[in-house]
Amino acid sequence: MAIEVKTQNLEMVKSLRQVPQEEHYVPGHRTCQGCGPALVYKLVSKATGGNAIFLGPTGCMYVANTSYLCAPFAYPWMHTQITNGGAVASGIEAAYQVLIRKGKYKGELPSIVVMAGDGGSIDIGLQAMSSMMYRGHDALFVMYDNESYANTGIQVSPATPYGANTTFTPPGKNVPEGRVLFPKDAPQLVIGGHPAVHYVATASVAYPVDLINKVRKGLNYKGPSFVHLHAPCPKGWLFPAQKTIEVAKLAIQTGMWVNYTWENGEYTYDHTPKEYKPVKEYMKGQYRFNHLSDAHYAKMQAFIDARLKAPGKPIAIPVLGPREQ
Amino acid sequence: MAKEVFYSGCAAAAYGAKDARVEVISSYPIRPYTGIMMELSKLVANGELDAEFVLGEGEHAQVSIAYGASAAGARAYTGSSGVGVVYAMECYSPAAGGRLPCQMAIADRALDPPGDFGSEHTDVMSARDQGWIMGWAESPQEVYDNTIMYYRIGEDHRVQLPQFCCQDGYFVSHIPGKMQMEDQKAVDDFLPPYNPPHPLNPKKPINHGPQIFPDQGSAINVQRAVAFDDIEAVISEVVTDYNKAFGRKYSPFVDEYMMDDADIAFFIQGGHARTARYAVNHLRKKGVKAGVSRLRFMRPFPTEAVAASLSKVKAVGVIETNTSYGGVTRGGNIAPEARAACYNLDNRPIITSFMAGLGGEIVTLNEFYAMAKVLSDAVKSGKANNSYWMNFEKEVLDTHK
Repeated sequence: MAIEVKTQNLEMVKSLRQVPQEEHYVPGHRTCQGCGPALVYKLVSKATGGNAIFLGPTGCMYVANTSYLCAPFAYPWMHTQITNGGAVASGIEAAYQVLIRKGKYKGELPSIVVMAGDGGSIDIGLQAMSSMMYRGHDALFVMYDNESYANTGIQVSPATPYGANTTFTPPGKNVPEGRVLFPKDAPQLVIGGHPAVHYVATASVAYPVDLINKVRKGLNYKGPSFVHLHAPCPKGWLFPAQKTIEVAKLAIQTGMWVNYTWENGEYTYDHTPKEYKPVKEYMKGQYRFNHLSDAHYAKMQAFIDARLKAPGKPIAIPVLGPREQ
Repeated sequence: MAKEVFYSGCAAAAYGAKDARVEVISSYPIRPYTGIMMELSKLVANGELDAEFVLGEGEHAQVSIAYGASAAGARAYTGSSGVGVVYAMECYSPAAGGRLPCQMAIADRALDPPGDFGSEHTDVMSARDQGWIMGWAESPQEVYDNTIMYYRIGEDHRVQLPQFCCQDGYFVSHIPGKMQMEDQKAVDDFLPPYNPPHPLNPKKPINHGPQIFPDQGSAINVQRAVAFDDIEAVISEVVTDYNKAFGRKYSPFVDEYMMDDADIAFFIQGGHARTARYAVNHLRKKGVKAGVSRLRFMRPFPTEAVAASLSKVKAVGVIETNTSYGGVTRGGNIAPEARAACYNLDNRPIITSFMAGLGGEIVTLNEFYAMAKVLSDAVKSGKANNSYWMNFEKEVLDTHK
């Protein structure tokens, strides 16, 4: 007789006071001061609790967290290649399904979480992520977005905003804005075309209670969920390390980042400001945009204005692409 | 009850996996190995095998799914052919370094270009240094047997390594042969359930694969090397037990045919060995003292067993069935290893590469006779070329006159 697979039912928290005090992402790692992704790890770990298995595709949160054979994770954690976080998680989830069914593992299905950077999610890791979503594995894919390949020295990724100076998109005489492309829309990639997915959300380290609840809600679904988390990177974006939360909040106030939920086809928006500030206010606080002219800021503003009409939904890019200019 | 069946190598692999009670299977289509997954998907759909059948989106994902499942504590099975095998290349070292004993069935296939369905061993031979166990079967029976034996070898706590369980595409994978399938209970007695020492389990958390710094690397490499030191003893045990349990006659590493009084030998792995034995029968009638030494494991390369076998003869022709462009013999990858295995012998034989069985071409009896002529000449003259591309070189073509 097959044994029923029992899955998570994690409670929502109403305030910071209800967030568990217990740490599962413990001190001793080597992330930078003010690291947004490290804060993501701490909050996601609080959301899951100990009955979890985390997968860490190569990236900052692999290299800076697990140096010298040490790791700060109090739950089972496994490195994956930057390419295959979604696939390794699929294998682990499939294994737990069959082991529980056959009575070889006794207990609730662990929360299986992939903690992938932007490259490991929507660039080199896109195929494995998409297929995990498509096949319907009961696992959560977290994209911690620091908008670059930061671990290797801040190279451009598909999540890097237009105009950013990265070590692969340096501004120069022929390319004054540095980064010429607009970013891929990660949640839209998941929402569009994965019938097994019921829950996709975006959240920010600036709003930890919201972040924890979205992670828990995703985990509670008996199937794959995707959570896209904004994680400012002082070293890559070039702002003072004490301003991580300030930068994250300003991203929301300027519309550079929007917190929303897509649940069974319905969008709900969170933390929407009464009035959006100009994107220049956000960009001028980061040295990666320091080289831009007013024309470049206007181009970014046009893109953001168009996107804010319906965040999370497809838009026609209102500015010229690199081959059209 | 054991039963006699008439199965292709693909079906033999699938039923070997079923009798090994694999728990997670990851698939992706590519000829010729596809038949294995077609068979397994039916067994799962019919409820004859309780396993998760995961549709990988490519071979890279297939291997990732399999080693992930293995890390979680499930017996995992996957497979591929040709370009699919090399597409997954990134994932082989993590699986071996993680000591995750999943199994990958290989029905080998020539690489592109050009598109070629034929058998050639180059695909998975390219992965021979990634830390996986690797060996070729020569018949559906041996495919079935190896599938079961490899799991016990790989999952042994002295070993803990993944396995490439290989068969020649088409020549073995698609030609049915008479074989015996064993009683499930007897297979269960031979192969205990997978019991990994450190699964990913929230009740006993471990961290798996943290980053290291260069001075910590060699200590980890040496652990894998030690596993390969211990593995020959494990293989001998497992093959002996299997022979005893099921009445087979495998020698663990090198399967010999008429080697004891031979002057020349064909050294070969996989299905072409069967043609080689027919050729030897004919050659013997003509007074040529030829023998066959068939390699059952490429990794670990059985250095001592190979040296002991090849030292019986004066000249050895390695039928490569794989390429190593620009390699030391300008032939394939097996002759250099055979030569190195014999290096410390007082009377080492002449060893040369015969480039045959490439791109799916049959190695014909006539080709074996031509090789025998080259080897007999080498015995007389005391020398031979490093390699001969069969049917393209004067020395070989002259033998047809």
